[in-house]
Amino acid sequence: MFDSLKDKLGSFRKDVEETTEEKAEAEAEAEAEAAAEAEAEPETEANASDAADAEAAESAASDDAADSTASSGGGFAAKAKSFAKGEIVIEEQDLEDPLWELEMALLESDVEMNVAQEILDNIREDLVGATRSFSSETADVVEQALADSLLKVISVGQFDFDQRIAEADKPVTIIFTGVNGVGKTTTIAKLSKYLKDRGYSTVMANGDTYRAGANEQIQEHADNLDTKLISHEQGGDPAAVIYDAVEYADSHDVDVVLGDTAGRLHTNEGLMDQLEKIGRVVGPDMTLFVDEAVAGQDAVQRAKQFNEAAEIDGAVLTKADADSQGGAAISIAHVTGKPILFLGVGQGYDDVEKFEPEELVGRLLGDEE
Amino acid sequence: MVLDDLGSSLRDSLGKLSGQTRVTEEDVEEIVKEIQRSLLQSDVEVSLVMDLSDSIKERALEEEPPGGTSARDHVLSIVYEEMVDLVGDSTDIPLEEQTILLAGLQGSGKTTTAAKMAWWFSKKGLRPAVVQTDTFRPGAYDQAKEMAERAEVDFYGDPDADDPVQIARDGLEATSDADVHIVDTAGRHALEDDLIAEIEEIERAVDPDRNLLVLDAAIGQGAKEQARQFDDSIGIEGVVVTKLDGTAKGGGALTAVNETDSSIAFLGTGETVQDVERFEPSGFISRLLGMGDLKQLTERVERAMEETGTEDDDWDPEDMLKGEFTLNDMRKQMQAMNNMGPLDQVMDMIPGMGGGLMDELPDDAMDVTQDRMRSFEVIMDSMTDAELENPRAIGASQVERIARGSGQDEERVRELLEQHKMMSQTLKQFQGMGQGNMERMMKKMQNQGGGGGGGGMGGMGPFGD
Repeated sequence: MFDSLKDKLGSFRKDVEETTEEKAEAEAEAEAEAAAEAEAEPETEANASDAADAEAAESAASDDAADSTASSGGGFAAKAKSFAKGEIVIEEQDLEDPLWELEMALLESDVEMNVAQEILDNIREDLVGATRSFSSETADVVEQALADSLLKVISVGQFDFDQRIAEADKPVTIIFTGVNGVGKTTTIAKLSKYLKDRGYSTVMANGDTYRAGANEQIQEHADNLDTKLISHEQGGDPAAVIYDAVEYADSHDVDVVLGDTAGRLHTNEGLMDQLEKIGRVVGPDMTLFVDEAVAGQDAVQRAKQFNEAAEIDGAVLTKADADSQGGAAISIAHVTGKPILFLGVGQGYDDVEKFEPEELVGRLLGDEE
Repeated sequence: MVLDDLGSSLRDSLGKLSGQTRVTEEDVEEIVKEIQRSLLQSDVEVSLVMDLSDSIKERALEEEPPGGTSARDHVLSIVYEEMVDLVGDSTDIPLEEQTILLAGLQGSGKTTTAAKMAWWFSKKGLRPAVVQTDTFRPGAYDQAKEMAERAEVDFYGDPDADDPVQIARDGLEATSDADVHIVDTAGRHALEDDLIAEIEEIERAVDPDRNLLVLDAAIGQGAKEQARQFDDSIGIEGVVVTKLDGTAKGGGALTAVNETDSSIAFLGTGETVQDVERFEPSGFISRLLGMGDLKQLTERVERAMEETGTEDDDWDPEDMLKGEFTLNDMRKQMQAMNNMGPLDQVMDMIPGMGGGLMDELPDDAMDVTQDRMRSFEVIMDSMTDAELENPRAIGASQVERIARGSGQDEERVRELLEQHKMMSQTLKQFQGMGQGNMERMMKKMQNQGGGGGGGGMGGMGPFGD
C-alpha cells in the first residue's frame, strides 16, 4: 500500500529542492557579478536564469537606483530583506511543475480529485512565501509541509479503538456498513478474533438477510471462531436480528455485538433507508464503514452517503494487501471526517492491522529512494 | 454509467467551439484538460489518460479539418475515434457451445456475474450451467447455488470438496448436457502467488474458450496491475464491469481493457440475475457524446413490456394506441418504466433527451419525477375501478376522498389527473402513426422538444409500440 505514492513524494521533495537550489545558485552568482562589476549589469540581467532574473535586477537596483527597471512588484521589500539575510523565497512558479507531478502522483494513488486538490492547496499555501536560508535544507521545509498536509487529511479524530471498547458499557454494539463485496463479513470475523484475543466475548448478528449464502458464510466464520451467531431466515428484518443479538448479549453477559448488514449500493434508496432504521432501532455504540483499499475515486461518494444514512464512527479498509494504492484511505478519512481504524491485509483471521496515521505518514516520507 | 460525466463536460467544452472554423491551441488545451479531468475522475489510469489526451491534442492541432467541417465537429470526431480506439469492440461472445472462466478480485461480483451470464445465455436459447469452484469463502457454494436457481440454470458445486481443480473437472463432466459452461472461481488478487498458481491450474483443467476478468466499477488505479497479472497468468479475453448501478464510473475497466488488450463483454447493473447487459461500444460512445442509444433502449423497452405484460394477461400495450387511454394504462406504463431501470438511465438513451437536455435539467429532476411516480401509484391504489377506467368523471368530492385515502394532498391527485389528460392527448397524436417504428416515434418526440422534461412521462406514451 502507498508504495508508488511514497516514491512520488520523495521525488516531489527532490524537485522542489533542486528548483530552489538552482535559484539560490543563480542568485549567488548574480550577486557576485553585480558586486564585482556595475557595468556588467545589463548582461547579468540577460544571462541569469529565469528564477534569478528578478533578483538580479533587484540587486542591481540597490546598487544603482536609476537603473531599477525590474518588475519587482509588491514582494520587493520582502525579497530584498530575505536577500540581504542570505535567504531565498520559494515562489509559486517554482512549485508549479513539482506540484503538477505531485497531483498526478496523488491521483495515481487513488486519492480523490478534490481531496488531492486540497492537499495541494495546503502545500502551496505552506510553501509559497516560505523562506529558507542558504544554509538550511529545502528538503526540511518541503518535508514539513508535506507531512503537515498529509496528516491534516488522514488523521481526523483518531481514537483508540481498544480503549473505547474497554471503557464502554457492555454490551458494546458495533454495526458494519458498506457496499457489496467489500468484505464486511470477513472483517467481522477478523474483529471477533481481535476482540477475543483481548479478552472480550463477542456475538455475531447476521443483518444480511438479503444475499444468497450470507447466513452460511457468517455461520462458518462463527463456527471456526467458536462464536455465537444470531441469524434469522433470509428475507427477515435486519434490524430485528441485530436487536435480538443485543438482547442475547445482555442476558448472557457478552461484551461485544458485531452486527453485519447486507452490502448495498449507496444509490439504492430503499436499502439506505433500511440502514437508517437499523441505526434507529438498535442504537449502535459504533458504526464502522467498510470499504476496499482498491476503490478509486468513487470511494468518496459512498463514504459520504453511508455516513449520511447512518453516521459512522470510523472506517475499515479491506484488501490492503492487494497492492492497492491506498488513496482511498486518505479520501475517506477526509470526506467523512472520521478516522480509518483498521486495515484488512489478508484472508486469515489474524490479518487485521490497526491503522496509525502518524506511522503511515512517517513511512510515506521516510528516507528511501 | 461508464464515464457519464465525460459526456457532459465534453459537450460543455465543445459547445464553446460552435461557430468557429479553426481551433486554436488554447481551445484544444482546454478541451484536453476537461477530458483529462473527467477520465481521471472516472478512475482511468493516469498514464493512459495522458496518452489518450496527447494523441487527441496532437491530432486536433495537426490534422486539417476536412472541407466544410466546423471546428467543433472536427474535434468531436477525433475524440470519438480515439475513444472508440480505446474501448474497442464488445468482446465477441458467439452463441454456441463454449466454456467461460471467470476470474477477479475478492468481492468483485464473480458469483453474481456467473448467474447473470447464465441467465443471459438461457434467454438466447442456449443451455448454460454454472460450475462453482470457490472452496475458500464460506457460503460461496450456497450463494452460487441459490443464484443459479434464481437464474433457473444448471448448477454444479461440491461443498465438501476442497480441490477447486477437481471440482472444475467434475463439474464439466456432470453438466456435460449444457451448451455453455461458466466456471466461477474464488476471489484472488495479483499478489497471492499460490492462488494465482491455482487459477492457472483450473484454467488448464477446464480449457476455457475465453477467460473473463470481473471488475468492480469502483476499482481505482490498481486495475492496471491486477489486470496485467491475470492476463499474464491465464490470458484475459474480456472484462465484465459490475456494480455499475452505483455512482462509480468504471474507468478501471478501460484501464484493464487497455492493459490486457481485450474488450468489455458484459455490464452488471443491479442485484437481480436479469441486471446484465451486453456491452455495446457504439451505443456507449454515442451515449457518451450525447447521441442517445436507441438499441439499448429498444431492448430494455421490450424486456420491460414483456415483464409487465406477463403479470397481467388482460393488458396489451397496443390497446393504448387503439382505444381510450385509462388510468389503468397509465399505471401499467409506469410499471413498465420502473422495470426499465432508473429513469435517468433510460432518459439518457433517448436521442435528444439524453446528453445536452439532461444537463439542463436540475440534478434532482429525475428523483423528483420518480417520487412523483411513486405517489401517483399510491393515489391510484385509492381509486375505484370505475375511476381508474374513466378518470374524466372524477369530481371534486372524489378527489377529496382519494386524497384522504391515499394520504396525499389533493393537489397531487389533481396533478395526476392533469398528467393523465396530457398523456392521453399525446397518445392521440401518435395513434395516427399506426405501427410506426421506435425511431420514427423518437424523431417525432425530438421535434417536439423532448416531450417536456420534468413531466417526463408525457412523451413516454409511444413505448407501447
